Amino acid sequence: MKKHKLLLIDDEKVNVRVLALSLKSDGYDVITAYNGKQGLESFIKNSPAIIITDIKMPGMDGIELLKNIKEHNAGAEVIIITGHGDIDLAIKALKYGASDFINKPIRDEVLAVALKRAEDKLDIREKLKEYTNNLENMVKIATEDVRRKSNFQAKLIKSSSEGIVATDDKWKVVIFNPGAEKIFGYSKSKIVGKTNLKDLLPANIRHFFELEKKVIRQQSFIINNNGEQVPVRFSGTILQEADKMMGCVAFFQDLREIKQLEKDLVHSERLAAVGQTMAGMAHCIKNILHGFKGGSYLVNIGLDKNNPDKLKNGWQMVQRNIGRISDLVLDLLSYSKDRTPEPQICFPNKIAADACELLQNSAEEQEITIFQDYDSLIGEGLIDSRMLQRILLNLISNAIDACIFDETIGKSWQVSVKTTLIDQQMIILEVQDNGCGMSDEVKAKLFSSFFSTKGSRGTGLGLLVTRKLIKENKGSIEVSSVVGKGTVFKVKLPFKAGNQL
Amino acid sequence: MGKKVLVVDDDPDARLFNITVVEECNYTPLEAADGEEGLKLVKQEKPDLVILDVFMPRQTGIRLYRELKTDKRFKNIHIIMLSGIPKKTFLRSQKALTEFGEQEVPEPEAYLEKPVEPGELMQTLKQILE
Repeated sequence: MKKHKLLLIDDEKVNVRVLALSLKSDGYDVITAYNGKQGLESFIKNSPAIIITDIKMPGMDGIELLKNIKEHNAGAEVIIITGHGDIDLAIKALKYGASDFINKPIRDEVLAVALKRAEDKLDIREKLKEYTNNLENMVKIATEDVRRKSNFQAKLIKSSSEGIVATDDKWKVVIFNPGAEKIFGYSKSKIVGKTNLKDLLPANIRHFFELEKKVIRQQSFIINNNGEQVPVRFSGTILQEADKMMGCVAFFQDLREIKQLEKDLVHSERLAAVGQTMAGMAHCIKNILHGFKGGSYLVNIGLDKNNPDKLKNGWQMVQRNIGRISDLVLDLLSYSKDRTPEPQICFPNKIAADACELLQNSAEEQEITIFQDYDSLIGEGLIDSRMLQRILLNLISNAIDACIFDETIGKSWQVSVKTTLIDQQMIILEVQDNGCGMSDEVKAKLFSSFFSTKGSRGTGLGLLVTRKLIKENKGSIEVSSVVGKGTVFKVKLPFKAGNQL
Repeated sequence: MGKKVLVVDDDPDARLFNITVVEECNYTPLEAADGEEGLKLVKQEKPDLVILDVFMPRQTGIRLYRELKTDKRFKNIHIIMLSGIPKKTFLRSQKALTEFGEQEVPEPEAYLEKPVEPGELMQTLKQILE
């Protein structure tokens, strides 16, 4: 270890010389001075780490020098040399911060011990300084790191397209990112520190969130500042520390764009379906026109030959084809236009029974029996009755056709219509037949436009319209079918029973 | 009433129309509502001409046409195709079946697209049968 610089001060020059010699030989870099004033000057100039000074000197004495040195550098180690009986002065010196004192005559071993102590102290101080410096550095680095990370997080939150809202333990909003501003239509300054998150959540999610403490990707609507309903997908977690809520974080995914895209897609698909199948429609219209031509031909013959039978048949043919073309146009219209469901109070079972009655004759003509099984729990209630009537007529006449098209000999064909109430809020409608059934190929094309297995009997729009009506009413339709065994259509529709209105 | 004309169409209106035209020409009409019934009547009644629709349940006109044209017993029976399907679609379907290894069939003597004028149908009938 490198020895420190050492300043030696004594008015007795001989002492200085002897001591300096011995210290130099120990490896110290020794500077000397012969009075207090000279010593202080040298101290300031050379800044030694260790000072050995006599206490009694003319002019500035050792104590005075010690005070001055300590003022300049509190870390300097000052060893005081005292004469015999200077104990009071020695104590005074210690008070002023001297590191040690040694008695005259100076004994080498005592000096060595004092120096060693001073050296150790300097060392420790050095290390402490280094350590402190290090520590400061480390704190600086760590702080920088934390700052960077929190910056990163802040940027992340800021640039997220999802709306992110975080709160403290009292549900008060502390973070409200630009994504959230966009969804809710409030600026951050209006919300942060002022608003309770619970006031921003839709009611159904709020209760669930409080109860479950965690919500994952729940679709809902929030009402924004402009009173608009914004579709969102919500995820949120209540953050807890030792069973105590410390805050919560909520994510809102804006679904407006997605919903719009979905709508656009459905719309363009529908347009494409209409376009693609112009040929299909043309075929259908040609058949109807053929009927018209035939009708007018028969009417003409009837008139020319005064044959009332021909006249009547021709006129009926014209009328039938007027019916066919109106059905086609109505189907096309209801397929290509969005229709808002019109729920009204009615008896769904009655509508089903009416539909069966309407088709009873054509079923009987083909020796098909219609069975009806209605859930008596379904009373009066709110449902889109026109939709219900149309889908029932479509499904039941399809079922009858499936029996007509069945080539099995000697089968007793049946169509059954069944209603079931589920949870007071859902009606299940089943239309089943034991007719020809459908191949996988037919099943795959079941809901494509102008696809029909019925030749001139079908427009290829019936099921398409049926599915659209069901979708508009937030219901669903399923089909299962086995070739030669029959087909079941199962429709689920939301229903509000009369006692809940 | 001489010659027998079989009308095969699933649409009752089209059948009534075609039969009336046949009657007006003083031929004897027969009618069938699908391809299968049509074939049965062809075998039973040996008609001189068949007015055949394409798109029907059970046996389509494409199939029945093929059967009539490939069976020697029926080679003297004339056929008028009468359909809402365009002629080229019908021919394409026949060609596809031929490519799948079935026997080649000739083009129909007459192909009329619905809606047809009664005069045109009448004229075609007479042209072929007289």
